Amino acid sequence: MLYGRWEKDTEMGIESGIRKAMWGCDGNLEPLYDVEDKGAEILVTFDLPRVKKEDVEISTSEDTVEVTAKMSNAVCWERWGGIQKRITFQAFKKQIRFPVQIDPEKATASFKNGILRINLPKLRREVSIDID
Amino acid sequence: MKMGELVRIVEEDDVAYNNPIVLEGLPDVGLVGTIAASYAVDKMGYKEIGHIESDLFPPVMVIHKGKLKSPFRIYGDESVVVVLSEVAIPPNAIYPLTEALADWFKGINAKLVISITGLPAKDRMDIEKPEVFAVGNNEDAMKRLADKHVGLLEEGFIAGTYAIMQRECSKKDLSAISLLAQCYPVYPDPGAAASAIESLEEFLELGIDVAELNERAEEIKLKARDLMRQTALSAPEMQKEVEQDMPIMYQ
Repeated sequence: MLYGRWEKDTEMGIESGIRKAMWGCDGNLEPLYDVEDKGAEILVTFDLPRVKKEDVEISTSEDTVEVTAKMSNAVCWERWGGIQKRITFQAFKKQIRFPVQIDPEKATASFKNGILRINLPKLRREVSIDID
Repeated sequence: MKMGELVRIVEEDDVAYNNPIVLEGLPDVGLVGTIAASYAVDKMGYKEIGHIESDLFPPVMVIHKGKLKSPFRIYGDESVVVVLSEVAIPPNAIYPLTEALADWFKGINAKLVISITGLPAKDRMDIEKPEVFAVGNNEDAMKRLADKHVGLLEEGFIAGTYAIMQRECSKKDLSAISLLAQCYPVYPDPGAAASAIESLEEFLELGIDVAELNERAEEIKLKARDLMRQTALSAPEMQKEVEQDMPIMYQ
């Protein structure tokens, strides 16, 4: 599932996803990310260039995951646009809200080749049903 | 340029084409073609020779070094022509765009059209060196691929600009191949672009070294984020998901 369509299903709405710039004046860039519903769990990946594993912070709640990742070298863009002219970014930051509850205690993560992968098991209350 | 056509190829320079090879690197999965084509233009120093206009394109222009440009541009010289774009191609423009481009390629007597693109790989994270596969549209194209020992896609669907480019080239009796490098579907993939260029070198022999592309991979990924997002958002309408499907007549 592509990130755009996931946003469509959430309270954020796709319109805000399209209009919103992928950078902020707070020194943070929004990373590219992908969300896939794997049935029993949600798989989220983030593309984090210029980031080392030890500089990634992940926090989860029952329905969100937030990633903050400091870049090893800040990104500085000059001569671009009108208001931003010279702008520097030190980190990636993104919070994703899920339409289902997850079990934050059981979440696992790995980081390889600049890609962060987070497995978030869904919170399930299993009830067996007897057949009449 | 014929006015009133849905897509117009505007030549800005008189180039004496000598049976050029065309590289098409329009945005698609992993931006493999866009990254590879831009790198080739940069390394070979190709000049801008034209652009593409269409009422079907978004009303966007781009400014580079203070100069106004179309985001849909054509670079090259007598023997190589490169088509690229800095914005995503709207799905409803694919058919008229590929038809107009194939017409123009025929007009400049192109000997081969090569689309560079990606092949989404679910386990891309674990692949150190992406493999490149190919599709050819006629006997001549298939023979060229066999001569260079490029692995073929033998079964499956292909979707997007490059798929229709193959068809339009067939209609104009032009040989066309697509080189597909294993890639991240929704992340810019300079590593896949490097593999694609190495495969491309088999056909072009331009001596393009991919070392700098690999060194600048993270910087390229950062610059390509916005185009990647635009392209990923239009992927469902492009029917990109069908590329993961099994054809009913699979043999």
